[in-house]
Formats: sequence, C-alpha cells, structure tokens
Amino acid sequence: MKKLLMLFMGIALVAVFTACSSDGGEEGTQENASNDDGEKSISILTPYLSSVTTKQMVDEIEVKAKDNGWKVNVIDTKGDAGGLASRMEDVILAKTDAIVIVSTDPNQVAAQIKQADDAGIPVFGSDSGYIEGMTMNATSDNEEMSKMMTEYLFEQLDGKGKLIVLTHRPHPGVLKRTETLDALLEEYPDIEVLTEQEVEVPGPIESARQQMENLLLANKDDDAITAVWAGWDEPAIGAAQAIEADGRDGIIVTGIDGNSQAVEMIKDGSPIKATVEQNFIGMSEIVIEQMEKVFNGEEVDGTELYAPATLITAE
Amino acid sequence: MSQTIKQQKQKMSFSQKLSAYGTIFAGIALIVIFSILSPDSFMTFDNAINITRQISFLVIIAIGATLVMSVQEFDLSIGAMASLGGVVSAKLAIAGVPIFVSILVPVVIGFVIGLISGAIVTRFRVLSFVTTLAMGTVIGGFTFWLTGGSTVFENIPESFKFLGQTQIFVFPLLSIIMIILVIIFWYVMAHTTLGRRFYAIGGNEKASEVSGVSINYYKTIAFALCGMLAALTGALLASRLGSAHPTGGEAYFLNAYAAVFLGMTVVRSGISNVVGTLFGAAILGILANGLTILQVPSFMQDVITGIIIIAALIFQKIGRE
Repeated sequence: MKKLLMLFMGIALVAVFTACSSDGGEEGTQENASNDDGEKSISILTPYLSSVTTKQMVDEIEVKAKDNGWKVNVIDTKGDAGGLASRMEDVILAKTDAIVIVSTDPNQVAAQIKQADDAGIPVFGSDSGYIEGMTMNATSDNEEMSKMMTEYLFEQLDGKGKLIVLTHRPHPGVLKRTETLDALLEEYPDIEVLTEQEVEVPGPIESARQQMENLLLANKDDDAITAVWAGWDEPAIGAAQAIEADGRDGIIVTGIDGNSQAVEMIKDGSPIKATVEQNFIGMSEIVIEQMEKVFNGEEVDGTELYAPATLITAE
Repeated sequence: MSQTIKQQKQKMSFSQKLSAYGTIFAGIALIVIFSILSPDSFMTFDNAINITRQISFLVIIAIGATLVMSVQEFDLSIGAMASLGGVVSAKLAIAGVPIFVSILVPVVIGFVIGLISGAIVTRFRVLSFVTTLAMGTVIGGFTFWLTGGSTVFENIPESFKFLGQTQIFVFPLLSIIMIILVIIFWYVMAHTTLGRRFYAIGGNEKASEVSGVSINYYKTIAFALCGMLAALTGALLASRLGSAHPTGGEAYFLNAYAAVFLGMTVVRSGISNVVGTLFGAAILGILANGLTILQVPSFMQDVITGIIIIAALIFQKIGRE
C-alpha cells in the first residue's frame, strides 16, 4: 500500500506542477486558447534558447505579448528539429492563437507551417526566414547593414584610400554584405582594394589575425594600408589585434554584427572604429506589431520585414 | 507454517504486481490527468493519432537500444547514426535516387557500421560504452563533412516526404511502420532462437558460452540491428521534416535509453523488452504532448519527465526487493 501511496503522491506532484505552471496560478484550468472573449494565447518555439541573441528575442516577445494581455508559452527543444515539429503540432492542436518561430529555418517545419495555415493559425518568424504559409518574418537586412557600414567607412576615409577586404563569400549573409561593398566601390574610384582575403571558418579571429600580420609585413609603408573592411565582427577583431600588436596607427577597421567583444574594443579605442548592430529587439517589436494587426483582422505590412540596424562608433 | 509461507507468497506477488504495473498505472494516471485538464485538446482522437506519430521515431530507435541492452551492452552512437541516416537519405533523394533506395542505403550503412562496432567490442573485448562513444564521434565527423555543417533541404523531391507525411485513412504511415516494427521485434525477441539467445547471453554470458552459444556472433548481430534501426529512424525523420540536420538525431539518443529503462520497469523481470520500450516511449511522448498542450514551460517539462523516470526506477527496485 505504501508504494501505491507513493505512486499517487508522485502523480499528485505532477498534477500540482501542471496546474501551477499552466496558468501562473491565476485562474483554474481553462487553458484552452481559442476563447473568443479577447484573451489571446501565443506560442513561441525555438530550438536555440541557449543562444544569447535568440534568448534576447524570445524574452522581448514574451514581455511585449504579456503587456498586451496575451498568454505566452515558450518552448525550447534544445537543438532538436524533430522535437520542434512535434511541439508545433501540439500547440496547433491546443488551438493557440499564433505561433512565433525564433531563429529557426522554417524549411525544417514546413509541414507544420502548412498544418497551422490550414487550421487558420498565423505563423510568425523572428530572424527565421520566410516560406509560403507563414504570415511574415522579421530579420536584418544584410544589404542595408553593409551599406550603412561601408558608407560610414568611406566617409571617414574622405573617399580615398587603400582597403583590405576580409570576407567569407560562402556564407549567404556575408556574401550579400560583400556584394553591397562591391557595388559601392564602383562609386568611389579613389578607394583601391589591395586584396580580398577569404577568412577561414571556424576560427575566424585567428585566421584574420594571421592574414593581417602577413599583410602588414607586405605593406610596410605608413599609408600603404588605410582601412580594413571585415564582413563580420570576428575577422575585424583579429585584424585589429594584429594592427595593435604591430603598433601601426592610422588603419581603420570596421565590422558588422554588434558582437559584444567588438563593441567593447570600439569603446576602448582599438583600431576597430565601428560596427553595425543587428537589431534583435527591433525584430521582436516588428513581430508583435504585425501580430496585433493580424489579431485585429488587418493585413500585415509585408512578408519579410527588416529591423533597422544601428551604427556603433566610439562616440 | 505452510499456511504462512503461502500467505507471504501471495503478499509478495501482490506487491510485485504493484511494482510491475506501477509504471502502467502512472501512464494511465497521466492520461486521466491530461484529459481532465484539457478535454478539448488532449482527449481527442486527432491527438491520440498525433502522439503515435510523434513517438514513432523514438520507438524505432529505442527498439535498437533494447536489443543491445538485452545482451548487456550499450550503443552510444545511435544519435549520431540517426543523424547520418537522415543526411544520407536526404542527399540521395536530392540526387534523384528512388525513394525506396534512398531509405535502403542508409539502413544498410547503419547495419554495416553496427557490425563493425559489434566486431570491435566482441573481438577485442573492449567496453561497448567507450567503443560506441568513439564510433559516434567518427560518424558525427563524417556527417559534418558530408553536409559542411548545414541543414540539407534544398531541392528535396516531394516524393521523399512520402514515408514521413503520408496518411492512410486517418493513420500516419509512420505510426503504421512503428507498429509493424514493434510486432516484428517483439516476435523475434519472444519467439525465435535469436531472441532467446540474446536474453540468455544477457542473463548469464558465461553459462551461454559454456553451452556453446557464440557470444561474439549474437552480440555483433545485436549491434548491427541497432545501427540499422537508428539509421532508419534518421531517414524517416528526414522524410517527415523534409530536411536533414547534421545533428538532428542527437535528441533521440538519451530519450531512447530513457524509454528502454522505463520499459524495463514495466515487466517484473526488469529486463529490456520491446513492448516495455513501446510503453516507455509512449509515456515520454504523452508527457511532452500533454505538458505542451497545457502550456507548461519547457524547463518544467524536463523536471517532471526526469522525476517520473527516477520514480519509476525506484518503484521497481522496491518492488523487486
């Protein structure tokens, strides 16, 4: 009998946990989402809650949704795409009012997106990508970020100088940034590209550092190199470290992403002078805004919406 | 005197029964709790079907783990094997290979890699724990090389999604495949020489050896079947998702063993068995499904799931004493 008792105690424990956490203890067990008296219930799903930027987005969406009086359910599957698909089916069955997938390639849950679409549940993406069946996705515009960064750099150079390009064209996002640079270079004939180097990934900081050391040795004159354009922050960090170690002045390094190490170096006066910060908070805001529109029966502003990035400099 | 012994015997068998069916009680209790808390979503025919499809991958990969555990060994490479299976089948499908072949090839690869693991473990008498851990690393590296670390999804033909996304009447093909495999391997383990040899080796390796059973042969077969089922799981997963992630199978590795261990608590003997594994996977699946429907935060889901597994193991231990 003792065992039976323990068994039921165990089950009671589960029941208590479930009851407490299903509603934050506010009101009974009426969790079912599809009540039409205005209270919306949204489900945020991601496999990467352990990633800093993903967590930031999820938290922001959660806070904003709660401000709107919506119920929020956050689901993390710890890198498991199959699990993400299963949990998405569960929330569809539970008639959630909206689904947000964060930092997820929507192609991995294409069947579930279709299922949600058939059930009339809108699926939003935050830094995820857009495929058919979704309502919209909010992300960064790589072209815009690169334009912002490159124009700032060229202004600093007064439109002339000798540039080193550190990039990695196989990455689609970095490719877009580099192509934007190529286009802008056509407009600035006095800016000469000394060389373009492919940074090795993984290990971009060390790879860029070694490349920069070699390039510094090869171009010893003071104004032989005036700037380094890096496709993202890590090679910029490596290049700046090499320049600092070499003691050379007057070389401006720029990155893109807003990586915290790079931001710190900019504030500390290293050769990295600027980066563009991806606006993850902005993406969350867009998702919430568009969700409000959908709940009010309005059309969304577009299927791919960009959160404006911000330029970060020492000032 | 004999009366008291008899009474004791009866009492023992009652408490043993309790421990034997404790996990089943818990499973039923979970269904009841979820049904009461969420009658509109959980306790529906659609959701029951949904759960069978969701657990199909876990059941198939865990059957393999059940076989290896029946000969008292471990295979820690099943997660990596499933990832490889998924990636290979997706790549083959993209290359235009017929769907049947694109599933068969990874299954054969899984079988062969399992054979190799089994041969290493039995011939050199090294710990299966370490051998398969290393084998998992090798497989993972190979998968990474094959994909460059990125998800395989571009140009996957619609036909490849047949196995993972087809319904026959209302029943998902995946659930049907799962049930067929459960029946086959239940039969193999319970009613064939192979199964009896597995259990004999698991029960007493020395005795089996003395009685002339080729331990090496049967253990190697267990590893090969395990590898085969893991690769099949990966291929089916890729078919369902319409994409293959280079680490997509990892999530099933620990859960597969959790299902096997839960399954061991279902039978009084406490040895791994196919029906028990199905039951264990069902409990894990019902928990994940029900707690999600009730909007329990995922961290709390992990806590609850872990507690239930530990509780099941404790009950069984108490019951056997």
